[in-house]
Amino acid sequence: MASFSRSWKHVLLIFVLTIYTAYTAGPLFWVALMSLRTTTEIAHNPYALPETLHLWKFSEAWVNSNYSVYFANSVKVVLSAVAIITLVGGMAAHCFARYRFPLRKVLYFTIFSTIIFPPQITIIALFQILVEYGLYNSLVGLMLSYVAFQLPITVYILESFFARIPADLYDAARMDGYSEWQIFWKVSMPVALPALSTTIILNTILLWNEFLYAVVLITDESKRTLPLGIQKFMGDQLEDIGMISTGLMIAIIPVVIIYVFFSERLIQGMTAGAIK
Amino acid sequence: MKTTIRLMKTLLLAVMAMAFTGSPGKAETVLTLWSHWADHESKRSFVEGAARAFESANPGVKIEVTWYEKQALYAALKTALRAGQAPDIFYAEPNQVEYLENKLLYDLSDAISWDKVEGWAKDSWSYKGGVYGLPLEAWTVEMYYNKKALADLGVTLPANKQLGQTEFVDLVKASAAKGLTPIALGVGDRPYPGAFLTHEALIQTLGIEDYDKLLKGQLDWGDDRVRKALEFVKTLVDAQALPSSFSTLKLGESHFYFHTKPGALMFLMGSFYPSRAFNPPDKGGQPEGFELGVMMFPALDGAACPNCKSITVGGSYVVNAASKNAELAAKFLNSFATPEMANEWLDVALVQTGIKADPSKIQGPNAAYFKELSEIDGMCTFYDALPMGVMTGEANEVFTQVVNQAFPAGLLSVDEVIEKMNATRK
Amino acid sequence: MNKQKDLSQPLGAIVTFLVPALTIYVAFTAYPVVRTIYNSFHEVLPGHPNEFLGLQNYVTLYNDKYFWGSVKNTLTWALTAPFFEQFFAILLALALYARIPGARFFRIVWFTPVLMSFVVVGIIWMWIFNYDWGALNVILRAIGLENLAMSWLGDPSIALPALILVTTWMWTGFNMVVLLAALHSLPSEVLEASELDNCNWPKKLWFVIIPMIRPTILNLIVLSFVGKMKIFDLVWIMTKGGPLWSTETVSTYVYKRAFEWNSFDLGYPCSIASVWFVIVLAGVLLLTFIFRQRDKLEY
Repeated sequence: MASFSRSWKHVLLIFVLTIYTAYTAGPLFWVALMSLRTTTEIAHNPYALPETLHLWKFSEAWVNSNYSVYFANSVKVVLSAVAIITLVGGMAAHCFARYRFPLRKVLYFTIFSTIIFPPQITIIALFQILVEYGLYNSLVGLMLSYVAFQLPITVYILESFFARIPADLYDAARMDGYSEWQIFWKVSMPVALPALSTTIILNTILLWNEFLYAVVLITDESKRTLPLGIQKFMGDQLEDIGMISTGLMIAIIPVVIIYVFFSERLIQGMTAGAIK
Repeated sequence: MKTTIRLMKTLLLAVMAMAFTGSPGKAETVLTLWSHWADHESKRSFVEGAARAFESANPGVKIEVTWYEKQALYAALKTALRAGQAPDIFYAEPNQVEYLENKLLYDLSDAISWDKVEGWAKDSWSYKGGVYGLPLEAWTVEMYYNKKALADLGVTLPANKQLGQTEFVDLVKASAAKGLTPIALGVGDRPYPGAFLTHEALIQTLGIEDYDKLLKGQLDWGDDRVRKALEFVKTLVDAQALPSSFSTLKLGESHFYFHTKPGALMFLMGSFYPSRAFNPPDKGGQPEGFELGVMMFPALDGAACPNCKSITVGGSYVVNAASKNAELAAKFLNSFATPEMANEWLDVALVQTGIKADPSKIQGPNAAYFKELSEIDGMCTFYDALPMGVMTGEANEVFTQVVNQAFPAGLLSVDEVIEKMNATRK
Repeated sequence: MNKQKDLSQPLGAIVTFLVPALTIYVAFTAYPVVRTIYNSFHEVLPGHPNEFLGLQNYVTLYNDKYFWGSVKNTLTWALTAPFFEQFFAILLALALYARIPGARFFRIVWFTPVLMSFVVVGIIWMWIFNYDWGALNVILRAIGLENLAMSWLGDPSIALPALILVTTWMWTGFNMVVLLAALHSLPSEVLEASELDNCNWPKKLWFVIIPMIRPTILNLIVLSFVGKMKIFDLVWIMTKGGPLWSTETVSTYVYKRAFEWNSFDLGYPCSIASVWFVIVLAGVLLLTFIFRQRDKLEY
């Protein structure tokens, strides 16, 4: 009897989860199908399965539409930006969480507060600054802008995590004669792996898809990044649904890989259960 | 003798040029140009072609074009202008009065052969005694229709291709009753197509002069003639003249909606229609065997000017007032102002131009279309701007939300439109 | 709580840890922000010296009905979406925690929406909401509910909820992953995975589990709240603030005033940004305060 109601419940659960899965993954699945179909086919029936797999569309996007260049630029900019944000943000967060010093609260609050300003407005002043520094229209300038853009939120997330690490761990490290840097590098960072994974995933996704800075701060075709590549197919002449989908799939695959990799770390780090 | 002197002069100049520039190509002057039309291949190759021609005619000059999609261009350009880093030449449309008001553009009065440019096109770029843009692209608002579908409904157009108000409303009703969308239109990504119906009706009932006053806020929207135009549009909206997907239908999609799927009887669109529709079907063009017709906007009862309609200058090139090479840049723009260039534009871009052209010389598959279009336009009197080119700020915003979207979507009554539009006149 | 922290003050280390972040911050973030606040008191036009206006922009803003309309829409969004996201995210996280069959697969699949940019999400959902062939109406018609099929983005009373649905769809997966990590970090005696079958688990969820992962939830809510208060791209792609301003948000309005209203004046948009900055900050502080307050009561 009990097992009957239990299996009935399981069926219901599976049913609900299946519907939810269709709801979340449906759109991406749809895009994946469309990435293999031509726009004309899609226009005649948006929901059909591909009749012939138009794999040439991927090479078309990659070669003719300059995706290889955009992709390389995106990789360079996003990877270095995320690495710098993680390190620099981690250092600052560690400092805010673990040391007392004058103006600590004021500084922290000031940094945190600027996450709120709409980038659509501040970009004008940012643009002027990049011109003054000679960093306008350069990948380094774009990368540093990205670092600055995501730094406050990263510090915010990491600080609240670092602050919850038990003090015993630090006391023990000091007893063992660790320097302050070693404490940061060998205690804070490893223990905070789950929080670091969160910020890495979040920053990678947001920057990988970032559009406004990319379009305003870069003018050379050879320095453009992936979101601009997708924009190419969204012109007003013809919304090339098929090619947008292809471009999207090219853009999304690396993010999925990064996510799969880091989310494993995230769960493992958590399950290890060093902290509360 | 004379030729010898000329030759010597040329040689001397060449030597001097060599001396000053070192070797040719090293210290070349670079003109930067930012342009919309990233995905309009024909316009791109037209402009790139002009650039290469100018480069070979002017050694030592190099023109670097960066192509953007329109929204992206405006974001990049307005930021760069504010920071004083804009390119020498850029794409603009005459409704962008903010450029003129802030003196950001270089005066082209003496730099362009204006006798090669249409008067109305020059006017649309004139401001306080100067002329500021080269009107490359121009378009009218046209009522396209599917010839077969019209014949199926048993309707034939009169010789002047203009139906009366009642005939037109009946046509819309008959089409809707057959399940065929009467007029394809959508405002998913543009602030203007939804307003076409209303402002073409307004030009007719008011005539050019009073229509101008209305747009400039000098005429009450409660005026009887305005009300009449709005009521005509409301009748059409209530007769389900527009697609149910009107609010999200994008400009490109609305073309496809008209000629392919699900198909519509008529399509009120800018005359840039062929630049998309005359492509092969797999590039978003009309299907094989599609018979395209052009008719006049219906004559409204008691209209002050039944053959009045809108023409507007679209994509133009302007020179940055802060450019160090402004004169050279203006010279480049002048290289567009020839009848040959104008005809080439018509032929490849498939949309009118503000530069004087001779459409009768156009050969090839599109000749018939251009003939039909110029016949219709020959019968018309034009008002040379769209409302968004005249209205600014709040009035423009309200017009976009109300007349372009909410009113044709059936969300507002005539009285509400009048009230909301009048609220912007202060 | 604070007792736990080290009270040491190794000045050298503090400086080393802070300087890189502060340098980048001051150079690329603080200066533009200060500039924005400065601009808000001026008329700022290219090629002109800035003209000092005092509080004039703020007075105009106070009487700007479009601004207040956009504030209402944005607040509606920011005060509902974060809670929808948390609600669904926690249920999903528990399902994964309980090791339902295929948990790894589900964890990845449920996360996919956030991998796409706002631009792409906007386009896809415009297709889904399309009246004629959009998936939503196609499904409604297929199951016999054609009365419910409508122009989702064309109706002023539906458009905003439709957009809120899209952000919830997009961000629930992200919240789920972070919450799942937090659940895994709890000592296993608190939450035996098998217990989730028990009828009492809603109570346990509310009284035991949620209080224990409250810091994570607070972080996520603040993150989501700030994100919604700044929301721009999605609206810009899908509705541009229409129909009839029903989806106008503060960010889209700022952008319109800065780039679209046929004006180069930066002063007024900067004053909107500055006022909004204060409001969002107050909101964040309030949220933090409420959650911290409850922390104190319980310990």
